Amino acid sequence: MTAYKRVQQWNTFARVWHLYDATWQNPFESAQRIMKYLKGLHKPIYHPLNDCGDHVVVINSGEIALLGDEWRKRVYFHHTGYPGGATWTLAWELHDKDPTMIMKKAVYNVMDGNLQRRYTMQRLHIYPDDDVPEKIKQNITNQIRQLRPVPKRLDRYAPEEVQRFPKVMDWPKNYILR
Amino acid sequence: MCKVCVVCIETMAARQTILNIQNLVNPSLLTVKRNYKRWLAPTLKELKRRKMKMGPEPPTRRSAFLEWNYHAELFAFGKRLGEEFRKDLLQRAFTHRSYIVQEEMRQKEVGIEDPKLSLEDNQEFIRRGETLMSEYLKCHLRVALPRFPEEGICAVHGYLMTDKTLAHVSRHLGTKDIILSSDFPVEEVTLATTLKALVGALAESSGAVRAREFVRDFILTQLAGRDINEFWEIKDPMRTLADILKRDGRGEPEPRLINESGRNTILATYQVAVYSDKQFIGLGYGESISIAVEMAAHDALKRLFHTTENMKPIPFTVDVRSMSYDESKWNTSVNDWSSAKVENVDC
Repeated sequence: MTAYKRVQQWNTFARVWHLYDATWQNPFESAQRIMKYLKGLHKPIYHPLNDCGDHVVVINSGEIALLGDEWRKRVYFHHTGYPGGATWTLAWELHDKDPTMIMKKAVYNVMDGNLQRRYTMQRLHIYPDDDVPEKIKQNITNQIRQLRPVPKRLDRYAPEEVQRFPKVMDWPKNYILR
Repeated sequence: MCKVCVVCIETMAARQTILNIQNLVNPSLLTVKRNYKRWLAPTLKELKRRKMKMGPEPPTRRSAFLEWNYHAELFAFGKRLGEEFRKDLLQRAFTHRSYIVQEEMRQKEVGIEDPKLSLEDNQEFIRRGETLMSEYLKCHLRVALPRFPEEGICAVHGYLMTDKTLAHVSRHLGTKDIILSSDFPVEEVTLATTLKALVGALAESSGAVRAREFVRDFILTQLAGRDINEFWEIKDPMRTLADILKRDGRGEPEPRLINESGRNTILATYQVAVYSDKQFIGLGYGESISIAVEMAAHDALKRLFHTTENMKPIPFTVDVRSMSYDESKWNTSVNDWSSAKVENVDC
C-alpha cells in the first residue's frame, strides 16, 4: 500500500464531529436527522457492515420543544423487573430529572434494535446547555442544520430596538393595556 | 387347448433340465454372494499413509513425459501468440547457455572426448531483445507522459524491466516448460531473460516493428490499472515543488489547513491545501498535519505532471511506426522542470 493509498483510506473513513443545537427543536424529528449522521447514512460509502458513522454533539437539549400537550401526555414507561416495579413518568417529570434524557431516548428509539445500536449511541454526546467540555469542542468541525430557524423572542430585543420598530397604529391615550 | 398345455409342460421340463445342468457345472451362478468390501477402506488408508510418509512428490519436467513433443510445443507457442517465428530462431531463443554446458558435461561423462552439439545459445538474442525493449518502453512512456520528469520515466521503466515483472509475463505466456536451461524448476531470472530473448528472436524473424508491438501488448500493459506515481518516490516534495514554482516565476508554496476533524481523538484527520500566490495548486490529507502537508505537495506535483488519478490512461494502441526512436530526446529532468519547458510538448 502506497502512502497515497493509505491517506486516501484514512480520509475516506475519517469520523467527522457534528454539532446540533436542539434549541426549540422537536426532539423526535431531530432524532431522525441525527441518526443519519450517527450511522453514516449520509455518506456514499455507507453499508450496514461498514463502520463509518460520525459523532454528533447535541447542545441545549434542555431547550427542546414538544408539540401541543406532549409534555403532559407523553409517558415514559420503565419496569424494574420486580413485581410492582413498573413506573410511568411524564415527559415534563423526566425532563426535570435529566434534561438530556428525552433527546437520548428519541435517538435510541429511532434506530433499529440490533447489536450495533448501543455502539452507535456511544457516538452521541448530549449536553443540556451550551457548556461543552473544551476537549470535545475542539473535535467539532461541522454543524447540522436545525429543523427550523429559532425566532428571536421579544424580551431578548433591546428596548431601543423595540421602540424603533415601525408601528401600524398607536393605542389611544386613554386605553388601558392589561 | 390340451395340445398347448402339453407344449407348455414340455418347455418347463426342458428349462428345469438346463438349470440343473448349470447347477452342476457352476453352482456359484445361482447363489450370488453380496457383502461389504471390508478390505477397501484399510487398503486405501494404507496407500495414503505410505504416500504421506514419502513426502511431497518432487516436481518432474514436463519434457520427461512420454508423449512430449518439443517441436510441436515450439510451433504451438508461436501460433498461440499469433506471431510468425522462424523455427530455428525460436528454438535458439529458448536455449540457455547453462543448458549447453550441462549437455556437454553429460556427454563427457559418458566418454565422448570432443562433444559436439548443434545447439546455439540465446546470449545474442537476450542482449538484442533487452535493448529493443528498453528503448521502446522508454520511448512509449515519454510519448504517453510528456510532462512526467525523466526520473519518473526511468523509475517506471525500471519497474517494467525488473525480473519479477518480466518473469510474470513470461510464465503466463507459457515459456516455463519449453525453456532449455540447467535450472529446474526454472528460476525467475531465467524466465525473464527468456522473454528478452523471445523479443530478440521476434525482431530477427518478423522485424523490429512486430517486436515492438509485442513489447507494447505484453509488457507495457502491465501498467494497466496501476498508479504511475507509486514507482517513483520524490524525497522532499515540498522543496521540489518550491524549486519548480521558483523557476516558473510564481510565489512560494504556502500550505494551509483547510479541514480537520476529531483533533483530540486517535482518528484525527487533517486536510491541507497548498497555495501559490493565493491560487490553489494541490490538496493533501493525512493523520497528522505534517503528513497532510507532504501529501499536498505530492498532489501539487501530480497536477503539474498531469499524473493525477483521473489522468488520461496510458494508450496501449498507439501505432509503433508513428513514434520516433530518438534516444537523445529525453523528458525534462525534475531538477530543471518548469511549465514553460513542457508547454509545447503537451498533448
